[in-house]
Amino acid sequence: MSKSSRVAIEGIGLVAPAATGSDQLAQLLTEGRSGIEMVERFDTSSLRGHKAGLVTGFQAKQFIAPGKMRRMNTLSRQAVAATRMARTDAGMEENPYDAAEIGVALGTTFGPVQTSVDYLREYVEKGSSLAPPQLFAESVANAPGSHIAIEFDHRGFNLTFTQRESSALAATMFACSQIVKGTVKAAISVGVEEINDITFSVLDKIGALSSSGTTAEESRPFDRDRNGMIVGEGAAAFVLDGAERSRGSAYGFYSGFGIARDRTASISNWGTGADAVVRAMSDALLDAEIAIDDVDAVWASANGSLAGDRLEAIALRQLFRTAIPPVIATKSYFGEYAGAGALHLATAAIAMRRQWVPASLGFERAESGLELPVNKVGRPHPMRNILVNSLSAGGGIICAVISSQP
Amino acid sequence: MRKPDTNIRLAVTGIGIICSIGSNAEEVWAAIEQSRGGIGPLTTFGDEKFTTDIAAEVHADFASDLFEHGSEMKRLSRTDLLAIKAAGEAVSQADLGATTPVPRERTVVCTGTSTGGLLEGESYFFERLIRGAEKTSASRVLQQPTSGPSDAVAKTLQLGGGVLSNATACASGGAAIGMAADLLRSGHVDSALAGGSDALCRLTYSGFNVLGAVDPAPCTPFGADRKGITLGEGAAYIVLERWDDAVARGARILAELGGYGASCDAHHPTAPVEDGRGAAAAMRGALRDGGSMESEVDYINAHGTGTLLNDSAETRAILSTVGSEVPASSTKSFFGHTLGAAGGLEAVITVMALQHQLAPPTLRLYSRAEDCTLDYVPLTPRPMAMKQALSNTFGFGGSNVSLLFRAS
Repeated sequence: MSKSSRVAIEGIGLVAPAATGSDQLAQLLTEGRSGIEMVERFDTSSLRGHKAGLVTGFQAKQFIAPGKMRRMNTLSRQAVAATRMARTDAGMEENPYDAAEIGVALGTTFGPVQTSVDYLREYVEKGSSLAPPQLFAESVANAPGSHIAIEFDHRGFNLTFTQRESSALAATMFACSQIVKGTVKAAISVGVEEINDITFSVLDKIGALSSSGTTAEESRPFDRDRNGMIVGEGAAAFVLDGAERSRGSAYGFYSGFGIARDRTASISNWGTGADAVVRAMSDALLDAEIAIDDVDAVWASANGSLAGDRLEAIALRQLFRTAIPPVIATKSYFGEYAGAGALHLATAAIAMRRQWVPASLGFERAESGLELPVNKVGRPHPMRNILVNSLSAGGGIICAVISSQP
Repeated sequence: MRKPDTNIRLAVTGIGIICSIGSNAEEVWAAIEQSRGGIGPLTTFGDEKFTTDIAAEVHADFASDLFEHGSEMKRLSRTDLLAIKAAGEAVSQADLGATTPVPRERTVVCTGTSTGGLLEGESYFFERLIRGAEKTSASRVLQQPTSGPSDAVAKTLQLGGGVLSNATACASGGAAIGMAADLLRSGHVDSALAGGSDALCRLTYSGFNVLGAVDPAPCTPFGADRKGITLGEGAAYIVLERWDDAVARGARILAELGGYGASCDAHHPTAPVEDGRGAAAAMRGALRDGGSMESEVDYINAHGTGTLLNDSAETRAILSTVGSEVPASSTKSFFGHTLGAAGGLEAVITVMALQHQLAPPTLRLYSRAEDCTLDYVPLTPRPMAMKQALSNTFGFGGSNVSLLFRAS
């Protein structure tokens, strides 16, 4: 294979539960404060779950002209706003690129479900011929990516990845591959998600969500008392650039990726094939040209689900054996699906720049036999390489390495 | 990070396809050779009324023999089932006659779809409106996410190389094949099953109608009287491997994937840029990726939707890229616009065209439009020598993907 290279994370922008922008997210992590709250947007009284990491108070007009905003759904607004913040953070306005040299890769798990619901409601009420065309145009999953391209005149590739919990990491993997391949000079990688009443209630109905029972409704990644995940939404965008062009202010550098699938998984749940997870993690380390003991922290995929967390814990113990680095679980800050996984990536990039690891909220004690050094308190921690995991229901696994050096 | 190495040659060793003109590659090619289209009255949505009432539907009972037990398909969407049917055919062909089978453990599934299981999602939504959320079963809606087809194919065929889904509107299927190419060229996987799948659903059927983009008669891409698309459904996959691996496995090589290009118009959420510069950039990208010259292209399987804007813009893109002499036909005139599946279907058609050295025709093209000045291979297939061919897929949001194939 060809010579390896790395991709710089030059800028971050985000619209998260309880945080807008990377500085606010850094503050949230420092304070160990979760953005998960009781849901007020829709009625959960007949459901078992009542909490989520939802975006409230986001003012799209601060980032998008009103005339353009009217043509965008919530996903598009958040994706465009996050991209604008990331571009500013990266100083792209001062260092413009040729429009054809910037690609956009966007990840979303559920896509514009609410827009589809709004369209179908009009379809039912007014008839199939009188539903609003504007809603149809916004119902396609790649509408947010399209708006980013139009807003910022990015004419490189424009693709929308929809690989469940791993959507944002899949988008990032593709974007990085195109930068090192040379088809674009730089790329915007984005993840965006919206939680509505239907998505929430379906996940609740199949028992995927945490709920009050013998223990309280809470996000507890890797904890022995975990009883399901809590969902989240929001957007995060990253400006990615070739490491050789980095101006010394990068958050970190993507240095490797790995991909695999657990063949024991059902089509909509996690399986028991830890070997596949180990294979994806090992592939990422190989791609980054680093050894196992070069990994100084693991950004775990864990979201509080019984099967998913167990699978990941077994795989981490299998790969690292007795020398497991600190394990950080971030889903308890903003929920699973938040930014389609992009907020998980944002926390890793911010932590790499600060050389500081956040607390894994909700974790108290591990399941017997699955002990991991889950980090419980925010603290400085020197890191050369972070292994980032994303295990999706259905068996898909994507792993990445973020390094401190180009 | 390993760079996708464009010096690595990629072999197509299997194809699978299902659409309105056939349930497998043999049936589909027979229909192409006979200029037999598959557009008819819309039946999928029962008595529901739309502005237009035709479609290119899959009427064959294709799902009943996919599984030993009916319970295995209970939760799968129609889009999943179409995908499993086509993917199964592709893998079977890639195994046929080889000394060793496709390495399941290292095979990635890359699928493009525009709406995934939305047909079932709509039924769930309507039932929920009538009966309330509590009394509506959630089991059929679990496969609504557009990751469904990849997951279902990987699960059914027991593939362990990963799953990578994309929903980039009508460019999705072509994009999936491009992604697979780079995963192979960077050594992350050893083989790939890549393509697209989409079933008809109410939202897209109604949506394209309210946009005024559907022709009330069977579509006539590039025609003087064209009024829009005909919606269709289907799925198609190719098995891709590194050339040397395919040879070592003793596999029969059907064609070579030379490369792909992807671009964005950055112009409008639903309309292409009039001068076709985005589409041209994707075609040039494919040629660059594959190390080919514009003058080496012998045939183009055009996106050719039948809308006024697309066909005009694509014609300009082709003119600016490879000139006016290269025949370009639209096989959407056979099986409609299958949206996210289109890139997969048309890739398979392009592979078969190279295999048979026969350019598929554009049906019903009795009179080309003034703004469509190319040779669109009207009405009947044309035997011709073809070494290299492009397959174009362009989508909402201005996303463009072009694939370059070579005869084996």
